Amino acid sequence: MSPSLILVLYSLIFLLLFSASLFVFIISRRILLDRKQARSKRLYLRIEKDILESISLLNPEFTIRVAQKYKPQANVLTKVLLDYGNTITGEVRDQLRIIFNHVMKDRCLKGLSSIRTIRRLQSARLFINFFDPRQSVFLLRLLDDKPIVKLTVINALSRLPSAETFSYVFKAFEEDSGYTVRSYFNIMFSLGNRIEPLIKSYLRKPLSPEKLGLLIELVGAIPLLSLYEDIVEFASHPDKEIRIKVARSLGKLLIPKSVQTLIVLSSDEAWEVKAQAVKSLGKLRNQDTLDILGKSLFSPYWHVRYNAGYGLAEMGEAGLRRLKEVAAQDEDRYARDMSVMVLNDLIYSEAAA
Amino acid sequence: MSSVLHLLFDIASVLILVFFFCINAFYILFCVLSLIGIFHYRNITTFISFKDVFRLPLVKPISIIAPAYNEEKTIIESVQSLLSLEYPLFEVIVVNDGSTDRTLEKLIRFFHLEKTRRVFRKIVEHKPVKGIYTSPFYPQLVVVDKVNGKKADANNAGLNIARYPLFCDVDSDSILEKDALLKMVRPFLENPEKTVAAGGIIRLSNGCVVRSGQVVSVGMPHSSLARFQVIEYFRAFLGGRTGMSMLKSLMIISGAFGVFRKDIALQCGGYRTDSLGEDMDLVVRMRKHLHERKIPFDIRFIPDPICWTEVPETLVSLARQRKRWHKGLIDILLHNISMLFNPRYGITGLLAMPFYFIFELLGPLIEVAGYVIFALCLIFRQLNSQFAILFFLVAVIMGTILSLLSILLEEYSTHRYPRLQDILIICLYSLLENFVFRQWLALVRAKAFWDYFKGKREWGVMEKKGFATAR
Repeated sequence: MSPSLILVLYSLIFLLLFSASLFVFIISRRILLDRKQARSKRLYLRIEKDILESISLLNPEFTIRVAQKYKPQANVLTKVLLDYGNTITGEVRDQLRIIFNHVMKDRCLKGLSSIRTIRRLQSARLFINFFDPRQSVFLLRLLDDKPIVKLTVINALSRLPSAETFSYVFKAFEEDSGYTVRSYFNIMFSLGNRIEPLIKSYLRKPLSPEKLGLLIELVGAIPLLSLYEDIVEFASHPDKEIRIKVARSLGKLLIPKSVQTLIVLSSDEAWEVKAQAVKSLGKLRNQDTLDILGKSLFSPYWHVRYNAGYGLAEMGEAGLRRLKEVAAQDEDRYARDMSVMVLNDLIYSEAAA
Repeated sequence: MSSVLHLLFDIASVLILVFFFCINAFYILFCVLSLIGIFHYRNITTFISFKDVFRLPLVKPISIIAPAYNEEKTIIESVQSLLSLEYPLFEVIVVNDGSTDRTLEKLIRFFHLEKTRRVFRKIVEHKPVKGIYTSPFYPQLVVVDKVNGKKADANNAGLNIARYPLFCDVDSDSILEKDALLKMVRPFLENPEKTVAAGGIIRLSNGCVVRSGQVVSVGMPHSSLARFQVIEYFRAFLGGRTGMSMLKSLMIISGAFGVFRKDIALQCGGYRTDSLGEDMDLVVRMRKHLHERKIPFDIRFIPDPICWTEVPETLVSLARQRKRWHKGLIDILLHNISMLFNPRYGITGLLAMPFYFIFELLGPLIEVAGYVIFALCLIFRQLNSQFAILFFLVAVIMGTILSLLSILLEEYSTHRYPRLQDILIICLYSLLENFVFRQWLALVRAKAFWDYFKGKREWGVMEKKGFATAR
């Protein structure tokens, strides 16, 4: 036998054994998993039944007994707790917290210090479902962790309505950079108007345009009417993205006096700012701006025309009249087509209504 | 003469052996990387409810573009599936690309469509639009009727009409799972600046039961040809694309299901209408465009959002489809040949393009050359029969191992075939495909070269059976 033949023969034997073991592994894993799943399903139903009973009894001693009973089956219990934890609120949730504290808390706390990111992340996620605000110290030490863990923690902290936790959120926002910054929008948005003083003070700080824009957008999204004066200042900011966000927020705050600022922005040098300002003017429904919106229908920019068309549609009878006039003219077919489309859309939405 | 012939056969055999070793090494590497990627994805998403994405105020709206050409058998189910997706804000743009059957008529009747005078910007070129239809009952549905211009042209029309910053390219004969968009949009939320495109996994709807536009029961296809394709799709998506995505060198996002940033796609000029592989072509041009401008980007493959599609069940349709895919690959790689081994294009130029060029493009030719050399050796009595038999067996087992690894990836990722019997069938077919099917496919793909250079660029037609529906 030549050496190449021997080499191929050995390769063949190795590959044959490897493929056979791979096949056995796939099949046996599937059989085991199927059995495990069936067992878990049965166990899940038993735990669910006991948990529902403890929820209806509201007896902490009974709940502790349920927790002790299923302590060895922590994985399935975790699943039940997560499923119910996401749907149950109020007093009955305390029963779930009792079970968590008796069975899972220690595991979670251990997991928070794990060297594996995934384990820390999973523990943090589980911990935030039932954690006690007094134990936030365990989470705080994860604030210097990787972005994904840190965001999970901040998300958890945002559930605590205290000035201290809010300051943690804003401090982390100030320190962070890169793609995680946008995630703070969701967290801050969920805090609502409780963070108004913090936003006010951070608007005065020298932040990057991205962070500044995010705060301005938050003012409109929440909405924080009292911060109107604070964001109007940025209407002349050199960065067009900031001006766009000011225009958008003003369209959400719907404060009548913002019309003047929006009129100025509607003649901005950047078409994106113009388009946003026109859209916000439409939402304000100020009849004095009919001419501005009508003129914007003839803008060379598609987005400006589009927003002007729908802005006029929001203005009621006078806006509709203006749209019909533009639809009837032949001088600018782009403005005419846009008006026709908006009018068509209005007919449809009324038919749908 | 005999010694020269012997030397030539030896050189050819060594080259083929080196190729065989390298291609399998790459595939094994991809499988290992995919396993790591799938584990990571599974762990990261544990305890995340994708419904939470629903509540996020910064989720970008998506325009779903579904080009349709003679899809009367599946169009209603497909559009229903698209309209029932769970996503905060989206529109469905069905582009009827000059169908000669009752596709448009069925859409008009079922969704109560009425012709509207919608205006749009023609940023990228496409064949004339005959009409735009909307429905008062389905406000997020827009149907565009246009002159036939093939899929890329229809996609361009959809791109012009799309209103939202992200667009999702889907085949109108496909069915998306309800939460597919929520899963797919995750990279765009996590890294909105860098993520320019994301692809999901395609599964076979053959053998599945569909109700109200959703797959309600997953089953094994009855046809052997479709069963071979189940394994092929596992290997391509779970093995190949997840691995390539891990190496940041993903070059294909299936035209059946992919989400893209509209601004970048438009900057690249939209879809190339003369390309036979418009999906890969767009991704390659996006990569080229972004590398040239030194803009950091990420193109991701996500092994979880699932799109179900019908695959050919006859040899003729399958051959036609594969020839088209391979002609598309030839066209795209030749069109962007300047990227090959060019350090200016980073990992795309140094890894992705060479891989596709050497292994995916030339692979079938080399495989067929191997069979030809085997036959010649047999004729000229130059064959070491022991070696040939052993090598053939090694090749068969290696192919089976790669398929088994992809089945393992499926088991670790979405685990969509619930019955043990299904897994046993797939395992059996992963062995069987190495006899005849694989060789036939290599021949078909090799013939694509002949067709391409002869100028045959037609798409061909695939016969559709329609989805099996549940009552």
